[in-house]
Amino acid sequence: MGQISAAYNKAIKELLREKAALFWTIAWPIIWVIIGSFSFTGSAPREVIPYIKGSITISMMVFALMIAGMSNLPASIAGDRANGLLAKLMSMPVKPYKDFIGRISAVITLSLLAAALVMVVGVAVGARFTGTGVEIAQAIGFAFLVICASAGVGLIAGTLIKNLQGAIMTGVGIAVITSAISGLFAPYEFLPVPLQIFSRIYPISSAQASIVYLLAGPDMIAYDPLTSGQIALTITLSLALLGAGTVLYSRLGWKLE
Amino acid sequence: MFAIHVENLVKTYGNRRVLDGVNLDVTEGEFYALMGPNGSGKTTLASIIASVRRQDSGVVEVYGSKPAQAKEFMGYVPQENFSSPKLSGRENLVYFASLLGYSRNQANQIVAEMLKNVGLSEEADKRVAKYSGGMRKRLEVATAIFPGIKVLILDEPTTGLDPAARRTFFGMVQEHMEKKTSIILITHIGSDAELASKVGLIDNGRMIAEGTPDELKRKHAVEDVITVETAAKSDSVISVLKGFSINGRVAESEIGYKIYSRNGDRVLADVVRSLDQAGHKVMRIEMARPTLEDVFFRLTEKNLQEATG
Repeated sequence: MGQISAAYNKAIKELLREKAALFWTIAWPIIWVIIGSFSFTGSAPREVIPYIKGSITISMMVFALMIAGMSNLPASIAGDRANGLLAKLMSMPVKPYKDFIGRISAVITLSLLAAALVMVVGVAVGARFTGTGVEIAQAIGFAFLVICASAGVGLIAGTLIKNLQGAIMTGVGIAVITSAISGLFAPYEFLPVPLQIFSRIYPISSAQASIVYLLAGPDMIAYDPLTSGQIALTITLSLALLGAGTVLYSRLGWKLE
Repeated sequence: MFAIHVENLVKTYGNRRVLDGVNLDVTEGEFYALMGPNGSGKTTLASIIASVRRQDSGVVEVYGSKPAQAKEFMGYVPQENFSSPKLSGRENLVYFASLLGYSRNQANQIVAEMLKNVGLSEEADKRVAKYSGGMRKRLEVATAIFPGIKVLILDEPTTGLDPAARRTFFGMVQEHMEKKTSIILITHIGSDAELASKVGLIDNGRMIAEGTPDELKRKHAVEDVITVETAAKSDSVISVLKGFSINGRVAESEIGYKIYSRNGDRVLADVVRSLDQAGHKVMRIEMARPTLEDVFFRLTEKNLQEATG
């Protein structure tokens, strides 16, 4: 077994045995899919309701991906630093980048597991999706960008905030606040203009809008997130966040002083 | 060539000089105890040798190489608990074995053997969260003794261990000494350091004394302490005892008097006889050998246990 799979196996076991991580990443989005599907569809025309549920399901899948990257990843990094594992690893012939790949792969696995479960529950409560094979592939690409941006934020939080609880709360706080102000929990058209601008710039909400546009239909989003300029912005900012997080982690993440 | 060679090592945190020109040599197969209070710099020194931190200046070599190039054959147990409480003891060890490049089968075999060596076979599949402090420490020591390890650095590994676990631990140390593994034990417990072949006393980032436990006690003239309890306390008892104590020093204790001698075991019988001849009944007499903590106190005027908190 290589160092990547060693780091992966350890991280995925820890994540799957951490009740708080499972609650926020899997149970919480599922609860909101169920509540949202029965609470926010009352006055809509009957034929539109399955797509509104589809839109809610996608938003909660994106939230699950966000929480995994923004909270579970920094918890894993800060936790290992706080409990002395980092000092132990630094004394061993371990390549930091291999530890990083193993760790981030575990978070991606949990993200995908959470997203799949949210999708299953969404469909079970009546969510329906549109989309051709190409559109589904594009949607998966945007989901990947959500993972990149969230992991980037998670790496920054886990590297800069040395305290375990501080790292977790910062990650959860960023996820919840940015979700609320970027239209992840509320329709874009209900947001005040400054937040609509933020919603288009923030790569996670713009990626979420793109996925909804592709899989629940253009009627579910009040703007076109698939213009070339908007797509370029989403891709650039998602990868920039991941790049910034990776650089920061590789420079400062393995330092004790 | 020394297994570990440290020369004029300096390390500063902010304005505080944590290591101030430390020199230290450990030969192959030597068991070296580094003893000092909290904040004396011993953990920083261990972490620099283990390649976890970098020095500001000075030389550190492990078998002639820089520590970063000696990681393959160096085992380090930091002071803090680092095993994952969410994994079992076996899973933790398999994780470290995998990081060292063992295949899954090799890792499983070696780990089973190591669990047996540290007495954790029966608890191997329990999560570490359910381990006692001593069990967890034994598991963590096991992460540092994979085959091929030539240098072992153990930072306060016996803190919190019960007497049985300490015996098991020092049994393991003995086995590794027989395999010519060089061991540095960081400790503030004198009785642990007594078992080492060489002891370094460190205070305020400076090595203040070094030698075998006996050499240190002899060189720094620490006396045996004889406590005498007589049927009654009196000036006459004190005047008899003065003749047996270094510089005539007699201290009053709760139960009687304390005198100090470099040959306590020889003086003991004479003290009883003289007191008897002077008409004083000896109710109890006992002698305490000097410890390395006493040596440390003599050199620094600091009580090691109190300084450590």
